[in-house]
Amino acid sequence: MAATLALRDLNKLYHRRGKTPVHAVKSLNMDVGHGEIVALLGSSGCGKTSTLRMIAGFEEASSGTISLAGRSINNLPPSGRNVAMAFEGYSLYPPLTVRENIAFALKSTRVSRTEAAKRVADIAALVEIEPILDRYPLSISGGQQQRASLARALVRKADLYLLDEPMGQLEPQLRSVLRGRIKNLLNENKMTAIFVTHDQTEANALADRIAVMEGGVLQQFASEKDLKARPANLFVATFIGEPPMNVFESHVTPRGGVTVLDIDGGPSLDFGGAGVPAPWRSVLGSRSKVVVGVRPHKVAMGTGPFSAKVVSNQWLGDQSHVAAEVAGKLLVGVSATRIRTMPGEAVAYDFAPQDLQLFDADTGVALAHGLEPA
Amino acid sequence: MSQLELRNVTKSFRTGKAVDDLSLHVDAGEIVAVFGPSGAGKTVLLRIIAGIQEPESGEVRIGGRNVTQDSPEVRGVGMAFQNFALFPHMSAYDNVATGLTATGAGPDAIKPRVDAVAKMLKITHVMGHMPKELSNGQKQRTALARALVASPKILLLDDPLRNVDAKLRYEMRLELPSLLRRSGSAVLYVTQDYREAMALADRIVVMLGGRVVQIDKPEVVYDQPARVDIARLFGDPTINLLPVEPARNGVGTTVTIANTRVHLGAGFEAAAGKSCILGLRPDDLTVEEEQSAETIPVDLLASTPLNERLVLLMKTLDGQEILASATEPPIGGRTTGRAYLRLDPNSILLFEAASGTRLQRSAGDPPVAGLGAPEALIADAVKGA
Repeated sequence: MAATLALRDLNKLYHRRGKTPVHAVKSLNMDVGHGEIVALLGSSGCGKTSTLRMIAGFEEASSGTISLAGRSINNLPPSGRNVAMAFEGYSLYPPLTVRENIAFALKSTRVSRTEAAKRVADIAALVEIEPILDRYPLSISGGQQQRASLARALVRKADLYLLDEPMGQLEPQLRSVLRGRIKNLLNENKMTAIFVTHDQTEANALADRIAVMEGGVLQQFASEKDLKARPANLFVATFIGEPPMNVFESHVTPRGGVTVLDIDGGPSLDFGGAGVPAPWRSVLGSRSKVVVGVRPHKVAMGTGPFSAKVVSNQWLGDQSHVAAEVAGKLLVGVSATRIRTMPGEAVAYDFAPQDLQLFDADTGVALAHGLEPA
Repeated sequence: MSQLELRNVTKSFRTGKAVDDLSLHVDAGEIVAVFGPSGAGKTVLLRIIAGIQEPESGEVRIGGRNVTQDSPEVRGVGMAFQNFALFPHMSAYDNVATGLTATGAGPDAIKPRVDAVAKMLKITHVMGHMPKELSNGQKQRTALARALVASPKILLLDDPLRNVDAKLRYEMRLELPSLLRRSGSAVLYVTQDYREAMALADRIVVMLGGRVVQIDKPEVVYDQPARVDIARLFGDPTINLLPVEPARNGVGTTVTIANTRVHLGAGFEAAAGKSCILGLRPDDLTVEEEQSAETIPVDLLASTPLNERLVLLMKTLDGQEILASATEPPIGGRTTGRAYLRLDPNSILLFEAASGTRLQRSAGDPPVAGLGAPEALIADAVKGA
């Protein structure tokens, strides 16, 4: 798939008088294919918004190139990039009604008046703003403004759609349906989209691939499934996933002719006496320490050779969340069936080697994803 | 005797009744979540209990005594808020201690109690810090410590986790119930997050438009919501609601969804011919590749992963949107195109359209053959709580 958008060695430095510059985006390389939906995900200050603003043309890149649909757009003004945008600092025009705002995006295109009216009506129905189409932006709520500006961006044809926290203020009851509709719209029309979010639920729901950023550095760029199954490092592993991955510092210890993992202050994992599985031996090498991770959904709670004191057991209507004390912290297990145990009781648990992740104790780099070396 | 009791409390503002004839009791050591959308009257309720606002009618009773006319200081109520409300010019220690100085305790009596509550909340190491030096999580624990330090009879928490990040919110959700129970207070916990309410509370008070519309154990509110608007607030993705008109059919009733007739089993005969709303939880729906009896043809539009599941958006042939959730892509990895939807008659909810109230299956009638009665299944689930 030919890349629609290519970022090459992109850097952004903010210079502040009398202070050292802030390096907000560091040597970013990224390709986004035609029709692909990409999320830039990270906490505040990770560089995701600076990246979006450089692509939009609101910020100048300090170095590096941005090309879109085969042409370099670094030196083009925002209006010359053929990019549709919905984000802060690009607000609705207050003197125009919501309907006029959305229709305005179609002004420069050769769309007949009836066709334009139909498109506005369709997109308004999709984001559920029909009742407020004839209101003025300042008289509607923040959430409605957000949906109106989303509609304005999506109503027209563009090489790229840039969306900033597109559904942050939506009422929870609308979210799932709206996510589905927007994903369907983008997919059906092969629209290429990049959206920024700090909410991984949003990123997981909409994006084909997620770019996880931290400290201005792209940590990993992969599908939601891959980020969970094959996190590149400890940062990604503990950032992605709700609830987050359980991680334990462990010592690699030869014992009784095999190698076992002793969780610091916790149980010893000897895998039924057989020691660590064969594929791990080479990745462990001569390491004496390693970090072991296991996702809450992969912890077998209520069965297994280990035992821990239950701190809480919460049933959320469709999931059990059980937390137990292991190695001085909480081991969290999530199950779609109800687990019957009370705080204060002992609960049995187990980890299967194919569900464990191993990380280097110093660098955090992934060593193994289940039985597969990283 | 309940630690806290409200009797027919009403409070109006110019905009209307914020709290409307509300009665409620909370025992010592019990955690009750007050849940509802913004504007439901949750915060006004807390302010009335604290004595910051006076009800125009009704009684607030604490420890069996009518305190409606008492000033806030003498009620024995501790409070913590979503914006923390710490004094910026005081250290964390002094902030916590203010919870006791108001009671007239001397410094010698104060220190051991502040130390004990700080230890319990794991903030001993930041007691000397000023609020601006604390993380949001530490601020939130400090505010909680201040509310707890005087061992209040009543503890009122107004959405205390709202402004902490998702990770800490989750951790606190796991730890809070045991911390709060240890305090022995009667706890009222306001939240807009149904998961938080379910995770923390012994009982949930659901408020809508100033009125209490249901008080029950969390799993009962989820599985047997009293009204359709409550069903809509519990569950993610949101429950599907379809207009139907049940018809009598042999041993039970059927409904017609997008020209497909589906059996609901016995027990809903009284609803025959009435306008109803059928509630289908996304988890209880199955998407199948081949058409068979009682499956509804749909077009799959999009699949959006949510936690460890996939949420599938589909449209019936008459244009109704339905969400289903599945653990795997349902049909050979395909998540768009034609598919067939099957619903489980034993897990449906049926509401009367006019009133919004849930209709119960009449007792004695066997539901769909081969499965236990739904009420029995729920009773079993409650036993395991």
